Amino acid sequence: MRISGTGRQQMRRRLTTAAALFTVASIALVGCSSASEGGGEGVTGAEGEVQLVEGVRSLSNSYHANWVAGGELFGESIGEEVIVLSDEADSQKQLSQIKALAGSGQIYALNVDPNTSADTEAIVRAVTDAGGYVVTQWNKPDDLNPWDIGDHWVAHISFDGRVSGEEVSNALFDAMDGEGGIIAIQGILDNVASKQRYEGLTNALAGASGIELLDTQTANWSRSEALTVTQTLLAKHGDAIKGIWAANDEMALGALEALKAAGLDGTIPIVGFDAVPQALDEIQGGTSGYIASVSSDAFWQGGAGLSLAYQAATGQIDVSELSNDERAFYGTQIVVTADNVGDFLEAPSLEALQADFDDPFARSQGGIN
Amino acid sequence: MSVPVLEVRNLTKTFKNVVALDDITFEVRQNEVVGLIGENGAGKSTLLKILSGIYQPDSGEILRNGKKTVFRGPKESATAGIGMVHQEQSLVTSVTVAENILLGSETDAVTAGFYNWRKLNAKAQKQLDKIQSPISPTDKVENLSFAQRQMVELAKALGVEEFSMEAPVIVLDEPTSVLEGDELEVLFAQIERLRQFASVIFVSHRLDEVLRVSDRVYILKDGKSVAERNPDTADVDELHRLMVGRESSAEFYHENEQTSVAEMPVVLSVDGLGKRGAFSGVSFEVRKGEVLGISGVQGSGREELTRVLFGAEPFDTGTIVLDGKSVRFSSPVSAVSAGFGYIPAERRIEGIAQGLSVQDNIFLADPAPVSIGPFFVASKARAAAEEWISRLRIRTPGRGTNVSNLSGGNQQKVVLAKWLNSPRLRVLILDHPTRGLDVGAKEDVYTFIRQLCAQGIAIVLLADTLEETIALSHSIFVMRDGEIQRRFDASPGNKPKPVELVEQMV
Amino acid sequence: MTSTAPKLGESVRIDRGTRIKKFLVGAGPLLALIVLAGFFTIASPTFSTPGNLSILLTQLSILMVIGIGLTFVILLGSIDLSVEGVMASSSLVFVLFATNDRNDFEFGIFAVLAGVLTGSLFGLINGLLHVRLGIPSFMVTLGMGAVGIGVATVLFGGRAPRLLDDGLRVWGVGNTAGISNLVFIAAAVLAIAFIIQRFTRVGRYGYVIGGDEPIAKLSGINIRKYKVLSFVLSGTAAGVAGVMAATQLGVGDTTIGGGLLFTAITAVVLGGTLLVGGRGGVVQTLIGVGIITVLANGLILVGVDPYIQQAVQGLVIVIAVIASGWSLRRRVRVIK
Repeated sequence: MRISGTGRQQMRRRLTTAAALFTVASIALVGCSSASEGGGEGVTGAEGEVQLVEGVRSLSNSYHANWVAGGELFGESIGEEVIVLSDEADSQKQLSQIKALAGSGQIYALNVDPNTSADTEAIVRAVTDAGGYVVTQWNKPDDLNPWDIGDHWVAHISFDGRVSGEEVSNALFDAMDGEGGIIAIQGILDNVASKQRYEGLTNALAGASGIELLDTQTANWSRSEALTVTQTLLAKHGDAIKGIWAANDEMALGALEALKAAGLDGTIPIVGFDAVPQALDEIQGGTSGYIASVSSDAFWQGGAGLSLAYQAATGQIDVSELSNDERAFYGTQIVVTADNVGDFLEAPSLEALQADFDDPFARSQGGIN
Repeated sequence: MSVPVLEVRNLTKTFKNVVALDDITFEVRQNEVVGLIGENGAGKSTLLKILSGIYQPDSGEILRNGKKTVFRGPKESATAGIGMVHQEQSLVTSVTVAENILLGSETDAVTAGFYNWRKLNAKAQKQLDKIQSPISPTDKVENLSFAQRQMVELAKALGVEEFSMEAPVIVLDEPTSVLEGDELEVLFAQIERLRQFASVIFVSHRLDEVLRVSDRVYILKDGKSVAERNPDTADVDELHRLMVGRESSAEFYHENEQTSVAEMPVVLSVDGLGKRGAFSGVSFEVRKGEVLGISGVQGSGREELTRVLFGAEPFDTGTIVLDGKSVRFSSPVSAVSAGFGYIPAERRIEGIAQGLSVQDNIFLADPAPVSIGPFFVASKARAAAEEWISRLRIRTPGRGTNVSNLSGGNQQKVVLAKWLNSPRLRVLILDHPTRGLDVGAKEDVYTFIRQLCAQGIAIVLLADTLEETIALSHSIFVMRDGEIQRRFDASPGNKPKPVELVEQMV
Repeated sequence: MTSTAPKLGESVRIDRGTRIKKFLVGAGPLLALIVLAGFFTIASPTFSTPGNLSILLTQLSILMVIGIGLTFVILLGSIDLSVEGVMASSSLVFVLFATNDRNDFEFGIFAVLAGVLTGSLFGLINGLLHVRLGIPSFMVTLGMGAVGIGVATVLFGGRAPRLLDDGLRVWGVGNTAGISNLVFIAAAVLAIAFIIQRFTRVGRYGYVIGGDEPIAKLSGINIRKYKVLSFVLSGTAAGVAGVMAATQLGVGDTTIGGGLLFTAITAVVLGGTLLVGGRGGVVQTLIGVGIITVLANGLILVGVDPYIQQAVQGLVIVIAVIASGWSLRRRVRVIK
């Protein structure tokens, strides 16, 4: 079942990406300085003159692939091309790619997923210096907010991992009939998402007296690492493991393979986050034990986030008039189980998202405090 | 009268402006051991490299069993039946004896890329049997001693017999320098047995050994074959004289500038210095402004001695005292800070930094004179560099020129400037300072040496030739096989003759 | 001058004291492995159970295959940094040619061949570029590794294609006699590699070239050819590893080799193969891989906090490398 766009769209995206990467690379080669020729504080661009940019970790995971697809839907809606920057989890690379955008002299609207919280400040300052407009998602330091930097850092969108973490954990406990031991596989320990989701699990555990956390390890968001770690944990705890919790689907899928190798798939429930296509298939299939995931709707993140940055860049939204709750807010998350998985199996159409592109704040769950 | 198995006629080889071989002619007959003897730089190693195909002669011819041949590379030389046992080890230590003996010539022991170890070991054993060596083909070379490796090299050289129809010619290049006592006897026994089925060229600096094993002896000097003698009838004194050659010109060496240093304080004092495997019991003193010459052939221990003085190698026994303080350097860095300087024999490898400019090279060892704290003062450096260039008459397009573009002589001057530049310098060690230089550059170097003495710097000199040593030094000692054989006073008017030195060296 | 050099007439090469010392140095990695295993056996009740031992073997299989390939290149004195990219590409080529959820190919065993040969092709390119153009192996393989990731990304197309051929998935997921099939594959690769190392020109000349290249050249050996072949071996091994990982995870993925390059090089060095070449071998690599796998597995079993596991692993590796290089440190050596 395909989630990503049509064949032609894929081709266009590839060519665009290739061309964009080449352009960015040559721009970066010529001048890595953050010369700001594009304009000073508060200057906006006319519609049609603002460059649309998405900054993600890599195109080879479905989550960010969907994110970019959402961004391109938005681009399509206003007839603009979207530049895609992928940093391959390299913070230095992400920052230099963003700095290189200044070289074109154009005002740009950037929707970015910073590699770690430590990188956010450098990124938003670079964008501000260049006169661009940026929306950040997921990772930022707790004590730094958009209004501390200025109007060019339009907003920060995050998802309360504690909320989704707790919800999906409860789904896991339900599937275990409230009894038994679980192992928890975390993401990169420094990531906000990893920490929040784990906190959600901890909160859920507080209310589940029959569930015991046997062990927790990190697999750094990686499928193969999760496989190895799960194998070892299976050896360590054996039958005591009655449920597996993973901070994202990639790792949950790796854990699932470990179960398969041990002949245990289908007997132990697993949950993850991100609602990647393969996880959704497993949930729908119902036989492997994979029972739930969480969707933040990557398409929305890529599209609405970019729309927000764009509207600020063109002056349609006056950033100085936004409230703090609008400049740092939580988006909506949905726990996906066999009951509602059907809604998530296909990419949304432009029509379905248009309302969210028009009003990016529609899905706000409240300010980040 | 049978045809000589190997003959060279009128062989000449020149490197840049140095004539290494000058119209050499000699021959080797069947079942004969021919000795080749000569000083450093006489041309022995060049000759051997030509015979093994590594170099090509500029003119002249090589005849193998009467037929003119050309060796375009080591393989061709081996195919012609010439087996070389090198002075430097040429075994690959990471594999076995058998693999080394048959390296590159495994033939049917390896089929379709697959090794038949039984066959390979048997082939190697065959060569080892020729010299009755107890070494096993399956031994790993890294586990063998130097002497045993020598035997393996010999077995390998004998392998050429398998390729060529003709009786092999085995060349032994300084084979005895790593052997002693019983080992020597074994080697001589091997040479005797080789004589039965092959011919041998025996090259050594140890005159007594050469005379012992050879049927005929050639003496090389300055690239020429100056004499051919029969050991039974040869006069050792005559051989010494022949090795040394012409008289030297006192003017060339600026001997008149040599002053007496008897009244000067002692700068460097060495007592009972020893390093395992290299030298032992070395004691000497050097005064301010004195040139101490050390003579000896390769393997005498003098090169290792200088490396120890400079801190590049540790020593095992004895003491080094510099300006009254006992020192033991852990590395050249500490030696330099204490006031030592070293001008190496291999200037390209150890003297100049090839990628840098003349100016950069000059301040490499001690940037302090042109720095303020850790900061390099460009203007000071520029001025100082220009001064050195004119003082030493370094011929260069400019101080920014890449030093690799300079001629050898001028590179040497840059190296000199590098050390002279440092005000800390107390003792300067010169290792073959005029090697590869033309006459004009040599004279310049001699002048500077005199100037250095006048400034009070003590010099330890390993010169290229005996004449240089004698002319430049205030005192000399000769080393042989790791020990000081004899000391000479070399003050002006009292200089020893080269012959006297040679007698101690060989 | 006195010396203690042995007589030529003797067949014993070096005195006993030196021999014992040499043996200890050579056996160092093995001793380290035994010590680590011993420690974890005592510290954790599950470490030496058959179940965990079986898992240990599985966990070291893929790493060992990569390490084996790297050993051939490192013996030359070169390096191959393209492993992760090659694994990515070969895993994707393999999955896309086998029965998968993206297209209609169903080439079964030939898909395996395609995946492995993808690795060989990368190795060939690495070798040729290095030897023909004289580009240092460090740079060539770094670049080709990036190319590998790039090719994999294009093939990836946004989501991981899933391997649906059960017959092939059994390799990665199934067991024979209680041991994962991957272990048997890795054992076969080790056996083949050992034969190559001991009995073929590629293997033996690798030692010669790595030990002393000028001598090799003077002996008339075609150095270029054997260098290229060694890189082909390394690439092929990475290709095999990519296929193995794909059968284990059930997908072709660009990140399938993530983190394995550094771990594999560490394993090779830990096992005793010198980075400067000429010394070591695939059996040594097996031990190095063993050390790393035992360490990772043991730390989890013992319950070491995940936050400090990596620090502990790093520390152990530094100690091991220092220990193995201890005897070499005295001479004035240029360390790059």
